[in-house]
Amino acid sequence: MKKFAVILKYELKEYISSKGFITFTLLLAIIGAILLCLPRFFDLSKFTGVQTNSQNTENDVLQDDSSETVDSNIKYALYDPKGIADIQLLSQYFDGAQFIKTNSGDEIEALVNDHTVDAGFLIVSDTEYEYYIYNNSIYNKDQATFDEAMKMMSRIRYCQQHGLDINEITQMYEPQINVKEHIINKDSQQSYGYCYALVIIVFMLIMFYGQMIAVSVTTEKSNRAIEVLVTSTTPNSLLFGKVIAGAIAGIMQSGIILSSILISYQFNREQWGGMLDMVLNIPSNVLIVFAIFGTLGYLFYAFLFGAMGALVSKVEDVSKSVSGLTMIIMLIYFFSLFQLTNADGIIIKILSYLPFSSYTTMFMRVAMGSVSIWEIVLSFIILIVSVIGAGMLGAAIYRMGTLRYGNPIKLSAAVKSLRRQ
Amino acid sequence: MELEIRNIKKSFSDKEILHGISFKVKSGQALGLLGRNGAGKTTAIRIIMDVFRADSGDILIDGKHFKADHYKLGYLPEERGLYPKRTVWDQIIFLARLRGMKKSEAVKNTQKWLERIGIPEYASRKLETLSKGNQQKVQLAATLVSDPDIIILDEPFSGLDPVNSQILKDIVNELISEGKIVIFSSHQMSYVEEFCDSIAIIHHGEIVLSGSLTEIKREYGKNRLMLSAVNYSLKELEEKLLSDFSDLLTVTGKNKMVLILTKSQKTTSKDILERIAKSDIEINKFGIYEPSLNDIFVDKAGDEE
Repeated sequence: MKKFAVILKYELKEYISSKGFITFTLLLAIIGAILLCLPRFFDLSKFTGVQTNSQNTENDVLQDDSSETVDSNIKYALYDPKGIADIQLLSQYFDGAQFIKTNSGDEIEALVNDHTVDAGFLIVSDTEYEYYIYNNSIYNKDQATFDEAMKMMSRIRYCQQHGLDINEITQMYEPQINVKEHIINKDSQQSYGYCYALVIIVFMLIMFYGQMIAVSVTTEKSNRAIEVLVTSTTPNSLLFGKVIAGAIAGIMQSGIILSSILISYQFNREQWGGMLDMVLNIPSNVLIVFAIFGTLGYLFYAFLFGAMGALVSKVEDVSKSVSGLTMIIMLIYFFSLFQLTNADGIIIKILSYLPFSSYTTMFMRVAMGSVSIWEIVLSFIILIVSVIGAGMLGAAIYRMGTLRYGNPIKLSAAVKSLRRQ
Repeated sequence: MELEIRNIKKSFSDKEILHGISFKVKSGQALGLLGRNGAGKTTAIRIIMDVFRADSGDILIDGKHFKADHYKLGYLPEERGLYPKRTVWDQIIFLARLRGMKKSEAVKNTQKWLERIGIPEYASRKLETLSKGNQQKVQLAATLVSDPDIIILDEPFSGLDPVNSQILKDIVNELISEGKIVIFSSHQMSYVEEFCDSIAIIHHGEIVLSGSLTEIKREYGKNRLMLSAVNYSLKELEEKLLSDFSDLLTVTGKNKMVLILTKSQKTTSKDILERIAKSDIEINKFGIYEPSLNDIFVDKAGDEE
């Protein structure tokens, strides 16, 4: 136990004194915190939909001075030979963009070509138009907006021709509906965002630290430090020290980054208008289940990664040795993400009991589905027993593999050799 | 203390590597564990260190079952290796603590050994920034920092320059005079002859020769003489002896300087000397042949063909 503590301390020092670790952790924590403070200092109202006091006054003044436009930076060219278009209506549809009248399609093309306008429209008839754009992006909504505007202009014209009240008809077709939500159990819409984020975080932690542990074991083999280590202490202390040091480093790292982000968000929540609640306002029960299952799942895989590292002698062989494990983790990851909206489905239910996958699927069920306490406890017990099993198996493979140099040892050969012992 | 390895057998994947090896070593003595590459020395050492379990046989200390974790062991492996990216200080302290030393003791001993091997100024340097010889010295400090009772040195001199070799020689002599058990494995026979009171030669997993080095040499030199002449080359001398002295001796070998002769039964050195005196051979060297450890090793562990 004392030796385990010595190894734990030594390995932990290796992680936390590494410049890469410190820089990466602090950089992410600071960048996260700063990004979340942005709406306090800059006008992000277009993104957040919330305006700060000072910005409100400024906009009021603008609107008083000119009722014309909010955003007049965007310009469109328009050729409307039949006089179908209502420029004011178009401008409203395009958030106050400016429409420049032209006399031909060629003129539109020329204006678009030399970037005088952002895009151009040639109205052929009531129901037909041509669109000109220099580079089209996948986010371009010009055509959809113009379609809507054309439809509205057509409706207005019809109403005028037939002596109808457009407002009355619009109200009839699109009555105002009010709703008051009463969510008795879970709000999947609310949980989806943070669940998605947590699945990614635990996946990244396991992959990143798992690989690091495997590489660290192989490095000790390749630089022969293992010769001295195994004659100074037990393989169990070595593997457990290494894995738990990695776990502590991982928890510290993600803890620092997450708390910096969460604290910064709580502090600036008003400025964000609560719009990141979906990702960052995580209920404590979900966080607790995530922390417990995430940590145990991490340990489960870390032991196996350590054992896989012991099967090879060269660092360049590590990725091949751990490929089976990474494949399983990737599959669980994709299953979890695909089934995120179906947390009560049979697949997630089964996966939430298996030690290979409960680390990610159990908190998904807690956040998005219905799960009773006994299910969580049962899955927890299965996971704990599996972690101990993985630790023992990992240490046995580690002990056997550490002093065998040369060709990579196949897992099947390692297990066979263990059985013989 | 007396450490005794008795009839140890070990197999890997159904192939027997050690076929029942035995040797002994006492406190204040060094045992030379010799053998060619792949003979089974490292496996034997690892069994003593309890890294591998023997399939059968015993390791005894003062006649009782030896448990590696009850004694302080210092092992300098042939394949050197520590942590290249960590500082010299950190890793020596780490290994000392791993072998059960208190922090204060570990600090004191690390300081002492870094000074003893002459590199205290490198304490805060990363291992990889040191020269190969200095890295070797750090490894030696890491081996001895826990003040071990039993010390196993596998090829300790490889990679050391003559000055550093001298420092190491002094250290090994000190360890022996302090009453430690030293097991010394090397291919450099001159060092083994210098330190070791006894040797054990492992060949293909078997002990082919073991015991006191002096006795082994005496036994090896028994009935053997050496001869060289001023007026004959070794080849001419060999021909001469074959034709004129075949009733008294046979030529059993030669090195650069002398012919090695084995006396026939009932022949004495005096008989041979008298015959030589009567011949035209002008003696350059004549005496009892004392084999070098190298000769003994090649004889015992050389290829049979």
